[in-house]
Amino acid sequence: MKSLPNYLQSQRKRLALSQEEVGFLLGISGMTKGEKVCRDENFAREPSLQDALAYEAIYGMPVRELFAGRYQQAQQEVATRAKILSFRKLRKTDSRKQEAIIQLAAKASVNQSRE
Amino acid sequence: MIHNKNVRILAIAPLSRGLGYAVMEGPDKLVACGNKAILRDKNAKALAWVNRFIQFYQPDVLVLPNVTAADTRRAARIKTLHRKIVAWAGKKKVKVRLVSVTQVRNQLLGEAKGTKFAVAQTLATRFPVELGPRLPPKRRPWMSEDPRMDIFDAVGLAAAFWPSAK
Repeated sequence: MKSLPNYLQSQRKRLALSQEEVGFLLGISGMTKGEKVCRDENFAREPSLQDALAYEAIYGMPVRELFAGRYQQAQQEVATRAKILSFRKLRKTDSRKQEAIIQLAAKASVNQSRE
Repeated sequence: MIHNKNVRILAIAPLSRGLGYAVMEGPDKLVACGNKAILRDKNAKALAWVNRFIQFYQPDVLVLPNVTAADTRRAARIKTLHRKIVAWAGKKKVKVRLVSVTQVRNQLLGEAKGTKFAVAQTLATRFPVELGPRLPPKRRPWMSEDPRMDIFDAVGLAAAFWPSAK
């Protein structure tokens, strides 16, 4: 199962907050603060890092869980690139570097088997 | 495997007022739930909402009430809507599972007999944060059914989907 891009709406409803109130907490000014939160929740807008961290502070949930789908996607992409990197010949062989790349590349095969 | 805990399910309860919906990821994670009141041209609008829900939540399985079960009575309009939703889900290649009222009661109350309010109370205890504040007062003989019961109908279907759910 692919996670949803984010779980902002369910977390907001858990705290019984309105979109306008969350917008105010995020520091969005003007009449459109509720609209921006709505667009975040409907996957129509990707919040900035500042907003993502603010969401973490509001909902008390780590960003990787709030934006589970986005996190999975990023993790998959990094793992795929790590696989490519592991095939390249390294100029200086550093055991720590090799270990890190192999670990990242291993996640690509794990994620593929899950899907 | 259909009863794998790593599936997202969308439960839809088509009712006379509109729709109740619930989205769950595993037996203990209620992602979203709510109800949509629909006025005029109900079947077409309800089908549009179901389509919107399927596109938004991308469910692996669509759970619907079994309207042809022996213990179930439904209006002709709702039976037609039910058939249309099943056909629509088939087009979208979403698996459909039918859950009867008896199955919901067996799963949640542990017996085949029980009231809708008892089922709603069990669900509100199981999901106190999401459903606790939405539990309507017990219906008296002179009262109409509270619209919020649509939510509990849909969550009941979703909760009864997993065999281990109690």
